[in-house]
Amino acid sequence: MGGAGWLFLFAVLMAAALLFTSVFFIIMFSDLECDYINPIDLCNKLNQFVLPENGAHAFLTVLFLLSGQWIAFGLNLPLVVFNALKIQKNNHMFDATEIFRNIPDHKRESFIKLGFYLLSFFYYLYRMIVALIAESE
Amino acid sequence: MASPAQQLPPGWAAEWDPANQRYLFIETASGHRQWEPPAMVPAAPADLVTSGSPPPTHHAKRRQYAAGQTHAYYGDAVAPDPNYGAMQPPPPAGGQLFTPGLAAENQFAQQQQPPQPYYGQPQPAPEYGNVPAYGPGPTAVGGGAVNALADQFGQMGMGGQKQFQLYTTNLLTSPPDPRELLQPPPEIRLPPNACISPSPHANAHPSYQRSTLNAIPTTSSLLNKAKVPLGLILTPYRSLDEGEEPVPVVTDTVIARCRRCRTYINPYVQFIDGGNRWRCCMCNMSNEVPQLFDWDQVRNQPGDRWSRAELNHAVVEFVAPTEYMVRPPQPAVYVFLIDVSHAAVQSGMVATATRTILENLDRIPDEDGRTKISIICYDTSLYFFSIPPGSADSTMLVVADVEDVFLPKPTDLLVNLVECRQSLETLLGRINGMFQDNMTVGSAMGPALQAGFKLMSHIGGKITVLSSSLPSVGQGALKNREDSKILGTSKESGLLQAASPFYKTFAIECSRAQVSVDMFLFSAAYQDVASLACLPHYTSGQTYYYPGFNAAKSEDAIKFAREFGDVLAMPIMLEAVMRVRASRGLRMASFHGNFFVRSTDLLAMPAVPQDQSYAIEIQIEETITTPFVVLQTAVLHTTCYGERRIRVITLALPTTSNLSEVFASADQVAIATLLANKAVERSLTHKLEDSRDHIFAKLVEVLTTYKTSMTAAGSGASAQLAISENLKMLPVLVLGLLKNVGIRQSAQIPPDIRAYSQALLTSLPSQLLIPYIYPNFYSLHNMPPDAGTVGEQGVIMPPPLPLTSERMERHGLYLIEDGQTMFLWIGRDAVPQLVADVFGLPNYEALRGGKTTLPVIDTPISQRISAVIQKTREMRRGVYYPHLYIVKEDGEQPLRLWALSALVQDRADVLPSYQQFIQTLKDKVNGVGSY
Repeated sequence: MGGAGWLFLFAVLMAAALLFTSVFFIIMFSDLECDYINPIDLCNKLNQFVLPENGAHAFLTVLFLLSGQWIAFGLNLPLVVFNALKIQKNNHMFDATEIFRNIPDHKRESFIKLGFYLLSFFYYLYRMIVALIAESE
Repeated sequence: MASPAQQLPPGWAAEWDPANQRYLFIETASGHRQWEPPAMVPAAPADLVTSGSPPPTHHAKRRQYAAGQTHAYYGDAVAPDPNYGAMQPPPPAGGQLFTPGLAAENQFAQQQQPPQPYYGQPQPAPEYGNVPAYGPGPTAVGGGAVNALADQFGQMGMGGQKQFQLYTTNLLTSPPDPRELLQPPPEIRLPPNACISPSPHANAHPSYQRSTLNAIPTTSSLLNKAKVPLGLILTPYRSLDEGEEPVPVVTDTVIARCRRCRTYINPYVQFIDGGNRWRCCMCNMSNEVPQLFDWDQVRNQPGDRWSRAELNHAVVEFVAPTEYMVRPPQPAVYVFLIDVSHAAVQSGMVATATRTILENLDRIPDEDGRTKISIICYDTSLYFFSIPPGSADSTMLVVADVEDVFLPKPTDLLVNLVECRQSLETLLGRINGMFQDNMTVGSAMGPALQAGFKLMSHIGGKITVLSSSLPSVGQGALKNREDSKILGTSKESGLLQAASPFYKTFAIECSRAQVSVDMFLFSAAYQDVASLACLPHYTSGQTYYYPGFNAAKSEDAIKFAREFGDVLAMPIMLEAVMRVRASRGLRMASFHGNFFVRSTDLLAMPAVPQDQSYAIEIQIEETITTPFVVLQTAVLHTTCYGERRIRVITLALPTTSNLSEVFASADQVAIATLLANKAVERSLTHKLEDSRDHIFAKLVEVLTTYKTSMTAAGSGASAQLAISENLKMLPVLVLGLLKNVGIRQSAQIPPDIRAYSQALLTSLPSQLLIPYIYPNFYSLHNMPPDAGTVGEQGVIMPPPLPLTSERMERHGLYLIEDGQTMFLWIGRDAVPQLVADVFGLPNYEALRGGKTTLPVIDTPISQRISAVIQKTREMRRGVYYPHLYIVKEDGEQPLRLWALSALVQDRADVLPSYQQFIQTLKDKVNGVGSY
């Protein structure tokens, strides 16, 4: 198995992990709406995952860049920029005092990310298989 | 238990005899007892004597109603009397205003008397200052006529609910009249039988809770069509007016609540199943009546259910049993953090503050002797004072390490007020002297807050911070970010947000530990009020700002000492949580005010001060099918006297599917309050400009909808600008809001002043907020002869004038006041006699502008003006003691402009005058120009 195969195998695993974080976020938000968790605990919990999630995604994108996978890189670039802008404006963390006002926005964002990771998961899987087939031929 | 007591003539009492299973009737005066119910004949004359002249027919009806209830209760007449629906008019709102409340124990007697005279009584005490008798205004007359008409319909058996009459006015031809603002909100017209109590207090007074619409649309599409925002303005813990009865307390810990929606029993529930069950007015669930509900635990005998306070009063307090406690009721704890840096000592703040605390030690709520106090001073170090109980002296402990704050001693820092009274007094007397020569510049406010928090976090309570400088050391240090270049630009809103995350995270920690923070800020230089105000904002405290405080000026010292003293003496609710429940279909969507939203609908308030207002936006989620809805606010709290209580406020509102009723029932004061809250929030999340555009667009939407659906003009152009009579003042209130310091477009307003003004806009109750956005303007040199003298309702105020300088004469003397400041404007041609009589000076030239105290001179005009000023300072809720400025017409420019900026109907700078504003509105409504 060559470079591209390994890369996409790694990407598939990564996408799966990111997928799970998005699902986790969404579950936590609905917990908050149903009053199973208080906003302070929620924010403390979720804020631990924000930077790792953004970092993992950025790392994956950099890997695509370095290995010259332009399409995969191009697909991921907008999200990286979006995350970077949020960090730059210093509003990437969840704020317990504002959370109830912003919860619809946060939820929507998580759902979009979920969809994006899901699609990229299948895309990476496809690319991995294509790479493996290409190798075996 | 439903007793026949209600049918008894006065002087008779009924007592249940368990042995014979029937009522025994006792004539209380003579002690005569009999089994037969006494005859009704003597009742009427006695009634007439006791309470004026109630309509006798009404009286008889009420008896019948009571009988109907009793019958229903005994189960032999389940179907109600077909007539009494029509014959039981709901108590109109007029009767609920300011009539003394009924204490629970007086109920028995009260029930034998006829109800308050409902009709023909003038509306008592208008909300915004007791301006008496102008003669009935046009709306009052209209309202009366409508009442009479609707009564007739009621008598004719055409169904009881009165229809709202919509009166359309043209804004172009009718200039705003400040007296309109004194009118009570549109009457709440509940369907007959909605309320089981005849008490005039069965629906919440608007000063406790008011809705922007007094008839709730049944569907969200109707609400969206009307464009009027739906919201609730509440001040659950408001101060009592003079002569007002305290909130009735239910002491027997029998708390009937709905099993499903947890609603507290209230005057709008229905008793069913022979009185053994009650049907919840919100979710229709049938609940069991608790066994002890009909038992009088004080006298240990069967009691009268109908006299229970929670069935007769919209505002009640329950004494909560242990199920409502997570821990035993906490004592009240006050921690004072006093800035003793060079600036603070030099301005005299430390001296004034310590003296005020000293003088008010007796007024600090401490009925049960448990109140604890601690004093911590700080500059760049922390100074703790250890007061061992019993000793008359205290020792100072200095902690210079502000990076990692620790308490120098585990005990004796937080001491009992009673036990250590002596040493506290000595200490307070000495603090100013101790730091007299302190040359340290800088402030470790963050570490001081952490220390105070550590000291009290196991109990909770109140931290009062007195600070004269920008926090510069340790956690929470702030930088001077004031930049005059970005004022007035879109970046300005950044200056209104917290600069350091410390103030938000610390606020959350405080809220968790039931600690509330009050900020008293004094700096002459930039102090970053926006960041510091975050702490009070999320911990239900309050920010007080005295820019450029200098105790050498007696006015400054008096103002601060008065306000600080009142804050200290104010009873507070500790460890409070608030929840608003509403009938099915309504949902509390977003919350504005000083608290922390702990879950979707639970507001955490560690210490609730009096007279703090909150606004809640309401969504209509599904179609409402009931004829009326109920909104119930419950505040679970510990009083500062160590008792766990629940304050319940119930507001019932009729529903409507008619657009014209929605407009006719809109409450302009509540709408303005809600818009003020929304505008401030928007200015923080978006830009100041956006927030102005938002409220302006809202107003245009309302006017457009009104024009297209309520007037003949439809969607075409119209030469008029129509709005209903009850919303007539809304445009001018919105204009006032757009011109308020907190929102106004200007490049000259320092961010501190703006942030403070925004804090006021989101926390003042309507009664204070309305003058704050639409000040009062009186002419004093030619006021009516009775103005300023003492009348039936206290000092008579002169009639308020519209806020425009057109009304100013060059020889006149005027008072402009917005509840926070007062301006005494004097024209340049003022006659020397006026100046001499009012100010005791020879002529206009000798008069100096600026902050002042009016001299007491023995002339009638001076005394009347002093009385008017005195009344202005006292007539409103809240602790604010406005400064008085003398403004000369040709005096200092800044002061003059400041005073003139209060005249919101005038054109100022880029801001339009009222005429221009109305014209713009008209163009927008007619579709000319773009947004």
